[in-house]
Amino acid sequence: RRGVSFRLQALRVCSGRHPCAVCCPATMLNRVTRLVPRARQLDPGRFLHGGPQGPQGLAVHLDDRVPDETPRAGSRPSEDDPAGAGEQREDRHYRIPLQDLPTVFAHGLPQYQHYVCQVKTFHEACLLVRRPALELLRHLDGTNFAHPAVRYVLYGEKGTGKTLSLCHVIHFCAKRDWLVVHVPDAHLWVKSCRGLLRSAYNRQRFDQPVEASSWLKSFKTANERFLSQIKIQETYMWNKRESTEKGRPLGEVVEQGLTRVKNATDAVGIVLKELKSQSCSGAFRLLVAVDGVNALWGKTTLKREDKSLMAPEELALVHSLRKMVRNDWHGGAVVLALSQTGSLFTPRMAYLPQELLGKEGFDALDPFVPVLVSNYSPEEFERCIQYYLENSWLQHEKAHTEEGKKELLFLSDANPGQLERLCAYL
Amino acid sequence: RVAASLSTWLALQPGTRTLRVFCTSVSLATCSTIPSPHTAERTPRYKRLLRRKALPSRVEKMTVDQDWPSVYPVATPFKPSAVPLPIRMGYPVKRAVRMAKEGNLELLKIPNFLHLTPEAIKKHRKTLKDFYTDWPAALDSDEKCEKHFPIEMDTTETIYLKPQSVETLRVKLSSLNLDDHAKKKPIKLVGERYCKTTDVLTIKTNRCPLKRQNYEYALYLLTVLYHESWKTEEWEKDKIEADMEEYVWNSSSSEKNILETLLQMKAAEKNLQVNKEELLATKEVEEYKKSVVNLKNEGDNENTLSQYKESVKKLLNLM
Repeated sequence: RRGVSFRLQALRVCSGRHPCAVCCPATMLNRVTRLVPRARQLDPGRFLHGGPQGPQGLAVHLDDRVPDETPRAGSRPSEDDPAGAGEQREDRHYRIPLQDLPTVFAHGLPQYQHYVCQVKTFHEACLLVRRPALELLRHLDGTNFAHPAVRYVLYGEKGTGKTLSLCHVIHFCAKRDWLVVHVPDAHLWVKSCRGLLRSAYNRQRFDQPVEASSWLKSFKTANERFLSQIKIQETYMWNKRESTEKGRPLGEVVEQGLTRVKNATDAVGIVLKELKSQSCSGAFRLLVAVDGVNALWGKTTLKREDKSLMAPEELALVHSLRKMVRNDWHGGAVVLALSQTGSLFTPRMAYLPQELLGKEGFDALDPFVPVLVSNYSPEEFERCIQYYLENSWLQHEKAHTEEGKKELLFLSDANPGQLERLCAYL
Repeated sequence: RVAASLSTWLALQPGTRTLRVFCTSVSLATCSTIPSPHTAERTPRYKRLLRRKALPSRVEKMTVDQDWPSVYPVATPFKPSAVPLPIRMGYPVKRAVRMAKEGNLELLKIPNFLHLTPEAIKKHRKTLKDFYTDWPAALDSDEKCEKHFPIEMDTTETIYLKPQSVETLRVKLSSLNLDDHAKKKPIKLVGERYCKTTDVLTIKTNRCPLKRQNYEYALYLLTVLYHESWKTEEWEKDKIEADMEEYVWNSSSSEKNILETLLQMKAAEKNLQVNKEELLATKEVEEYKKSVVNLKNEGDNENTLSQYKESVKKLLNLM
């Protein structure tokens, strides 16, 4: 039965959106069937990955250990201090300690389920340190907090690792005690939302209680310690009976949003506004990280009561987020990642900033620093394979050989996402 | 008559040559003895056989260095027996080659210029030499020709059911006296008739019946276009950014953004005595402006994006 399910998985992926180099060559399927008897011998934990589902992938790597430790074939991750970014060399891997995961990835990675499964399988979360991330970390290190927030936009083709680079940056900032406002996927806010309500604050806009409350929950988990320190600077009236006074901790606003779901969107707006105004005072450093930021200026599939399509600015969440990514505040930085997957009405091959952001988005984000995330370089590819071999992820007998590696390189074209999927079968 | 039609049918088939050769093997001597059962109006058999006898076509007698203009002195339809080239034309049947030139209707349909080979043209030239006037000595280069005669007119005349002529007028817009606004307006007015890479405006007219009328109409259109482009209508003031042909940086949102950013940066450094013009006149802002204009006009590519990145980094002191 396992053999059948394995094969079915292989076939299922073939109907996905990507040009599947995986299932089409008959050789791959042959390999799959040959592997099946072997699978039974191995630890079932190894193969309990959820199967490749998500569109983007960044393979995760192991680092070469410091030479004085026991040398092993391949590598184990070095210590997990992203704050030592200066010491981090390129093509190294570093591990995020498991206790950090709930806070760093509090929002989860909704478009990236198979990385989460991989983390579960390997019992560790490793990220390859790559040039774009290092560049960003260097800039963030040297940020002048008196100047307006600089916006960095990660762009690149599908599957090259923008999301995970963003996660790397988030972890780095979290370690340095920055307050991180992380929106894992802005596309989720512009499509398939249920329960839209007319905003009480502004009749022209719409609230999204479900999305807002789930975001508030994860925000609370991620930044627990700040919520009691930051005090709000205005009184907010929720309704005739409830209000939050000036000087109360921000945590109360978040609580209000979580308990009264109707006010969740307004709570999000208030949180963002307060954070923005208070980061200028220097009490904390603020990092705004948004993935799929092109959703904010794209189109929505949400309909008004009269069944006409809404513009994104009519959504209160989108409106407050747009205000957040402007550079009229200082004391932090804004790191954004573009994403075509999940975006609406954009061509599949689009990945350049102007294509995805459009004129409006570009003008809103201008001036920003575009950072290109590309496919693996040969060294990075080598590392990736080493990591998989080290973790016994690649079981095929030819995976160790040069030919096997060349074949993998050819099939995946050094694209991290593709490589990750291919290796899932081996 | 059946035989006659049969012979013409055979003549149209490829490979009739062999058939004809076969026919000629029948000697004349024998046919007169065969009594003809037909009536007197039908041609006697020997005459029919004579007719069927194939004369070798002219092509076989042609030498390589013959005088071709005498074979095709005027425009005549294609004669397979007179053209010594092994041409094939037509849509091939499956697994076959195209039809040969003998009896090929396709070759008859198309116009041929066999009467205008270089040899023939040289001969024409020699004959017409006495009627020529000299090329003006002052116009010895292309640029001078363009400078003095910027407008080119081409005429195409066809006679099919009725005589009609098409006049094509070509002129470079740079040779016309136009200012900034007047340069952009005719481009928008004529649309596809203007080619951006060669800066050539092409006007084609064929509405009028006579050649001269078309010629004058084309010149009239050019004159009207020229005068209209100098005029500015009231509704042209409503031109918005989306109508612009090129990205204009001045008073664009990009300029506003960068100005705000720079002002904030200066305010942070407690430097409040700056004015906007000074800020915008620095080298970094110039570079940034160029890179944004490039990005917007040319679109995204590695070059423009890296240029933009460098200029933003310099501007925001991120190096």
